[in-house]
Amino acid sequence: MHDLFDPATVLLYLPKLLAKLPVTLLIVLSATAAGILFGLALAFVRLYRVPVLNQATLLYISFVRGTPIIVQMFLVYYGLPMLMDLVGIDINRWDKLFFVVVTYGLHAAAYYAEIFRGAIGSVPAGQAEAAYSVGLTRFQAFRRIVAPQAVLTAVPNVGTAVAGLLQDTSLAFTIGIIDVMGEVKVIGGNTHRMLEGYTGAALIFLVLALMLERTFFSLETRLRVMRHA
Amino acid sequence: MSFDTDFFLVALKQAILFTPNTLLMAGIPLAIGIVAGLALAAIRVFRIPFLAQIARAYVVLVKSIPLTLVLVIVYFFMMRAFDGIMQSLGFRLHEKDLDPIWIAVTALSFWAIGNISEVFRGALTSVGTGQYEAAFSVGLNRRQAFFRIVLPQALPASLPMLCNILIGLIKGSSIAFLVSAVDLLNAALIEATGNYRYLEAYVAAALVYWALTSSVEQVGFRLERRFTLQTKGAVA
Repeated sequence: MHDLFDPATVLLYLPKLLAKLPVTLLIVLSATAAGILFGLALAFVRLYRVPVLNQATLLYISFVRGTPIIVQMFLVYYGLPMLMDLVGIDINRWDKLFFVVVTYGLHAAAYYAEIFRGAIGSVPAGQAEAAYSVGLTRFQAFRRIVAPQAVLTAVPNVGTAVAGLLQDTSLAFTIGIIDVMGEVKVIGGNTHRMLEGYTGAALIFLVLALMLERTFFSLETRLRVMRHA
Repeated sequence: MSFDTDFFLVALKQAILFTPNTLLMAGIPLAIGIVAGLALAAIRVFRIPFLAQIARAYVVLVKSIPLTLVLVIVYFFMMRAFDGIMQSLGFRLHEKDLDPIWIAVTALSFWAIGNISEVFRGALTSVGTGQYEAAFSVGLNRRQAFFRIVLPQALPASLPMLCNILIGLIKGSSIAFLVSAVDLLNAALIEATGNYRYLEAYVAAALVYWALTSSVEQVGFRLERRFTLQTKGAVA
């Protein structure tokens, strides 16, 4: 009979788990980039109430927020190849990482759309009107007057969204990605020390989350100082 | 391979049949979270020495460690420790007798307690200190002021947020299949193991989840509107 918990094994596993950290970070970063771009597009559709697209976006956001991400991941994993097959493109053998990044990107976009819409909407209309009155075009007014103010409101919420995404990556291993979580399964399969492996993974996620919080907090403070300088 | 509507309906029926299990896995942690979360929030609001620091550390842990990890850690810990714990308590129960639903309920409860305590802490601090002072001035003690004056104001304010927590729990319970608990998602998936029609099963599960979370969201909207109307009415 072995011990209930062996802390030394956790330390032994940490380097192996850290070696897979780049995969986790790659998912977070690429999905965040994709999510911000697509989310911004969705936010404009909502802000300008583009007919048809506005309703479609509402439905999309509701679905993404209303269903578990694990379900969304498998919908993309099984459904996307079927959709692409209809137009004659075979993506069945593409890297699984592609499906994960697509899922998390689409998922994040729904959250970013609401964050950006809220942030842009929070800038008083008078700001844009004042900008037009001094001869700025619509694009210039947005770029130079509205956006810099909106960013300040958006930053803390973006931080929360990135932290959420980081946590959500802990499900990518279920379709066979060998990230930090997947590596635990690989090691555990040989040694039957899953508990220690997952504890090590929990430590890594804890440190990452704290670092992320610090980063966004200091970013927010810096932006505030810049505005009032 | 195209979409099999007939099988989709079979999977949908299974998902709906096992929805009570999902609601159980969301409802019990919600109840535990409300009770323990309120205690945790009160400990932090009143800055009770030592306990307040532990409560804070607990919230940081729950907010930083993914629910998936909490679930698998609880699972593998139970696999090793359950027999021993039951033996020392004098029960003739083995880890095989443990329905994995309870493992999911445990993990989700950890999550719920931390997140609900934050909801209550926000609601409690939003009630101004003037309320305590007024209560003290008419002779109430701290305990009376908390239960009779502050809590009745804080609780309704946190109801819409509790609906969000419930939505989070419903969605979070979907990972219970990792420990082979049979919830609405797993019931649909089990149906698909014979014919590999997983897409149909996932679409069916997604629709049931969507219906569940949308209903809870609607309740949240109503509560929020009612609450804002009430407060406005009180002021005017």
